[in-house]
Amino acid sequence: MKGTHLGEFEELVLLAVGILSGDAYGLSITDELEKQTKRNVTISAVHKVLVRLEGKGYLKSHMGGASDLRGGRAKKLYALTGMGTRALKQAKELRNSMWNQVPKVAWEGGKL
Amino acid sequence: MKENLPPKWAMRFFSWYCKDELKDAILGDMLELYHRRVIRITKRKADWLFCWNVLLFFQPFTLKKNLKLHSNHTAMLQHHIKITWRTLLKDKLYSSIKIGGFALGIAICLLIALFVKDELGVDRHYENAESIYRILGATSNPEDTWSRASCFPAPIKNTLLEDFPEVEKAGRLISFDGWFDAGNNLFRPSGQTSNVYEERFAYADPELIEMLQVPMVYGSQATALSQPNSILISKRKADKYYPNENPIGKTIVLNDDEESTFVIGGVMENLKSSHLSGFDFFITLSGKEFWEGEQNSWCCWNYSPYIQVRRGTSEAEMEEKLLHIRDKYVVGWFQEQEDQRAGVIQEHFSLDMQPIGDIYLGSQDVGDFLVVSDRQIVLLFMAIAVFILLLACINFINLSTAKSANRAKEVGLRKVVGSHRTNLIGQFLTESIIYSIVSVVVGVIVAWFAMPYFNAMAGKSLEFPLTEWWPIPLLLVFALVMGVISGIYPSFYLSAFKPISVLRGNISRGSRGSFLRSGLVVFQFVTSIVLIVGAFVVHRQMQYILNKNLGFDKDQVIQVHGVNTMKEKQKVFKNELLNLSEIQFVSASDFLPIKGTSRNGNSYWKEGRTKIDEGVGGQIWWVDADYIDALGMNLIEGRMLSHDIGADTASLVVNQAMVKELGLEQPIGARITRGGPVFNVIGVVEDFHYESLRGSRIEPLAMGRGDYGFASILSIRTNTSDMPATLASISGLWDKFMPQQPIRYSFMDETYARAYEDVKRTSNLFSTFAIFGIIVACLGLFGLSAFMAEQRRKEISIRKVLGASLQAIFQLLTLNFLKLVLISLVVAVPIGWYIMQTWLDDFEYRIDIHWDVFVLSGVMVVFIALITVSFESVKAAIINPANGLRSE
Repeated sequence: MKGTHLGEFEELVLLAVGILSGDAYGLSITDELEKQTKRNVTISAVHKVLVRLEGKGYLKSHMGGASDLRGGRAKKLYALTGMGTRALKQAKELRNSMWNQVPKVAWEGGKL
Repeated sequence: MKENLPPKWAMRFFSWYCKDELKDAILGDMLELYHRRVIRITKRKADWLFCWNVLLFFQPFTLKKNLKLHSNHTAMLQHHIKITWRTLLKDKLYSSIKIGGFALGIAICLLIALFVKDELGVDRHYENAESIYRILGATSNPEDTWSRASCFPAPIKNTLLEDFPEVEKAGRLISFDGWFDAGNNLFRPSGQTSNVYEERFAYADPELIEMLQVPMVYGSQATALSQPNSILISKRKADKYYPNENPIGKTIVLNDDEESTFVIGGVMENLKSSHLSGFDFFITLSGKEFWEGEQNSWCCWNYSPYIQVRRGTSEAEMEEKLLHIRDKYVVGWFQEQEDQRAGVIQEHFSLDMQPIGDIYLGSQDVGDFLVVSDRQIVLLFMAIAVFILLLACINFINLSTAKSANRAKEVGLRKVVGSHRTNLIGQFLTESIIYSIVSVVVGVIVAWFAMPYFNAMAGKSLEFPLTEWWPIPLLLVFALVMGVISGIYPSFYLSAFKPISVLRGNISRGSRGSFLRSGLVVFQFVTSIVLIVGAFVVHRQMQYILNKNLGFDKDQVIQVHGVNTMKEKQKVFKNELLNLSEIQFVSASDFLPIKGTSRNGNSYWKEGRTKIDEGVGGQIWWVDADYIDALGMNLIEGRMLSHDIGADTASLVVNQAMVKELGLEQPIGARITRGGPVFNVIGVVEDFHYESLRGSRIEPLAMGRGDYGFASILSIRTNTSDMPATLASISGLWDKFMPQQPIRYSFMDETYARAYEDVKRTSNLFSTFAIFGIIVACLGLFGLSAFMAEQRRKEISIRKVLGASLQAIFQLLTLNFLKLVLISLVVAVPIGWYIMQTWLDDFEYRIDIHWDVFVLSGVMVVFIALITVSFESVKAAIINPANGLRSE
C-alpha cells in the first residue's frame, strides 16, 4: 500500500498522460490539466511531478517531436508503464470501495 | 517567429543551472508557451512571465549535480542559517526590536539617499555638462564682501561669440518675475475668450534650448525658438490646452494683448532634474527688443548668459580672458556716460564661470530668481542619514552583546565538541548578515510605503529606481557591509567565552562590555537630543518669521490678481468694492512686500550729485494713494502720495533705510534723483520687510505714484469676520465686470508663508527625523532594560522576599539608565547649541537660542526614556518572587 501511494496532483498528472497517450509532454499535460480542473497549473510543478513519477517507475519517456516553435528542441514524451497503470487502478479501487461504504444516511444528512 | 525571443540572459541562466537530461524538454516547453503568449498578450508581459518560469524551475530537481554543493562549508552554512532562524524565533521580542530598529534606520537612510542622489544629479546629465557654464558678475565691494549676480547687458551674447574663439555657443535667459512677460501671465489660446492664469514664463535664446538639450515632444531644439515671437511650451501645458494634437503653429495671447501674439514653435518634455525645471514657457529672445536700441546698449543688466566652450578650454584662463568684456565694454560704457563708477568697476568687478552642474546647489549667494536648493541642507541630510544608521547599528551591537549570556552556554558547548574560534565568528557573522538582509528587505518595504509622505514633506517627486539594474546589487552589498559592521564586535565578543567558566555557570552574565554598551547608549541619546534641539530651534525660527512684526499687516488682506485686463474699468471696480461695508481700503499696485511680485533695481542720488557720489541702490515701487493704508504700513513723517495733487507725479515717499543711506537730514522736502528727473520727498514710511528675512537688511525703497498703466494686482483690506461672505461678494462683483475671466485671489498671509516653505520643510523634516531617531534609540533602550530586568530576576526576587518595596526595585532598575540619559544631555547641549547657531547664522533676522530649548528637550528625552525603561522595570518589580526563584 505504502509503495503505490499517489498524491492528488500525481494522480491527475498520470491520468493526463493516459488521456494524451502518444503526445504527453510537459506543456500539453499542463494544458490538459488546466482544461480539466479549471485551475492554474504552473509548468514547473508539472515537470517536477513528471521527474518524480519517472523515478518511481510509473512513467517512461523518450525524446522526439522537435519544432521551430520550440527553438528546435525535442519534447520529452511520456507514457504510462505497467506499474503506473496499476497504481492508478489501485487508487481508483480504493476510492470506489470507500464510496460504497458511506451509509445512505450521511448523504441525506448532506442535503439538509 | 524568429524575432520573438525571450531575453537571452534568462535562457542563458537556465542553461547554466539546468541538467542536460531535462534542459531541452523544459526549455522547449517554455519557448512554446512563450510564443503562444506573445500572440495573446504583449511581448513585455510574455518576457516577464518567461523569466518568472525560469525562476520557478530553479529547484533541486533541475539543478546540475555540481551546483548542488555538498561540501562541509555548505553544510555549516545551512546549519548556521538554521540556528539563526531558531534564535530568531526563540525570542521574538528581541528579534523584532533588532530587526525593526535596523529596518527603520535603513528605510530612513534609503529615502535620504534617494533624495540626495536626486539633488546631486541636477544638471549633470548633459552630454557636454563639463563645458557648459553660466557667467556671473562678481563684485567685491570695498568692505570686501562678495556678491554675485547672473546679470549682463543684452549685447553680451554676440560679444561672447565674436570676441572669444573658445566659445562655441552662447545663449541668454531672463527669468525675473515681472520683467515684461517673464514670471506669470494671463494666457489663452487665440480664438478662445477666457484667460487662464499661468506661471513660469521666461525669456530664452534658441541657443540655450540647444545647449541644455531640452528634450522635445514636437518640433526640434533648433527651430523651436528660432522665429521671432515664438514660444516653447511644456508637455503638461500642451496637454492642458491642446489635448491630443500637435500645437506647433498655433497662436496664443498673453494678458489680452491681441497686438503682439506668440506662435508655438515647439513642445518640450516637462523639464526634470534641471535648474530650469520650474519653467513651463520659454519666450524667444530672437529678434526681441524690449525698447529701442536695447539690444545694442551696455546700459541695462538683465540677461543671464550661458556659454558652451570648446573641449579642453581651461576655466581659469577663460575667466581671465573674459575680463576683456569688463575692460572694453562695461567700463567703456561708464566712461562714455562720464560716470565716476568706471574706476570702481575696473577695480572690483570680475566675471565668474559657474559650471552648469553647480547652479542648482551652489547659487545661494546669487540673486537669480531661479528655484535652487541649498548644498548645506543636502549635506545636513546626509549627516542625519549616517547618524540614524549608526544608531541602528549600535542597537544591533548592544542587543547582541547584551544577549550574550544566553548564548554563552551554546558557545561553551560548541568549543567543547571542537569548534574553532573562527567557526564561531563565522557563525555569528552569518547571523548578523542574515539579520541585516532581513532588515534591508523590511526597510525597503517601509521606505516604499513612506515614499509618498516623504515626497510631500520634502517637496520632491522621488520614485524608486525600479527600471534600473543597480539598486538590487547595491542593496545586497549594503546589507553585507552593515551585517559585518554590526556583527563584528558581537561575534568576537561572543566567541571569546571560555568553555570551562561558561559551563560551570560562573560567567558574569552580560556585565562584560557594559562600559562600551553604556557608551553606545550615550551616543544614541546624544544624537537624539541634538535632533530634538534642532527640531525645536527650526520650529521656533519658523514661528518667529511667521509672526514677526514686518512693518506691514498681512492679515485680512485679499489680493485679486489679473485686474490689468479690466483696463479703464479698474477704477470703477475699485469704487464699487469700497461700497461694500466690510472693505476698508483698496490699492492697485504690482509691487508688494511678498515674494513673486514686481521688483527692480535703481540707483539714487541727492540732487546734483549723480556723477560725484556712488549711487545708493534701491527699489522704486509704483503705487497708488491707498497703498499704505491697504497694506497697514506706518507713515512716520509727512504725507502719502495723492491723486488730487498734480505735482505728486514728481513726489516720492521713501523708507527709513533710504533716509539713512542717502544721509537726508531733513527728509521731507529733500530732493533726490534716480539719474533722470528730480523728485521731492514728501513722506517717510517705517521700514517694512519686503525681501526674505533670511537675506540682507531692509534696503532703501521709494514709492512713486503709479500712473504708467494698469496694475495687475488689487490689494483689498477687510475688517470682516465672515471671510466666505466677503469673498462671495467680491467674486460676485468681479463676475459682473469680467464675465470672461474667472477671478483669482489669494490671501496675503498665505502667500507670505509660502515664501518660507523651505524653512517649514526643514522644520518638518527635522521633527520627523528627531522622532525616528528617538524611536530607534528607545528601541535599543527598551531591549537593554528588558534584558537587565531578566538578568536580575533572581536578585529582584530575593530582594522582594526580604521586603524590598516596589518603589525601591523600580529605582534600582531605572536609575542606571537615567544616569546615562543625563550624561547624554550634558554632552548634547553644547553640540546642539553650536550646530543650530551655525544654521541660524544664515538668517539676518533670527531668534536667539534660549536655555529653555535645552530644558524642554532634556525633560522630553528623560521622560521618554523613563517610560521606555519603566515598562520592563515595573514588570520585573511586580512579579511573584516564587516564580523567579523556582527554577533552581
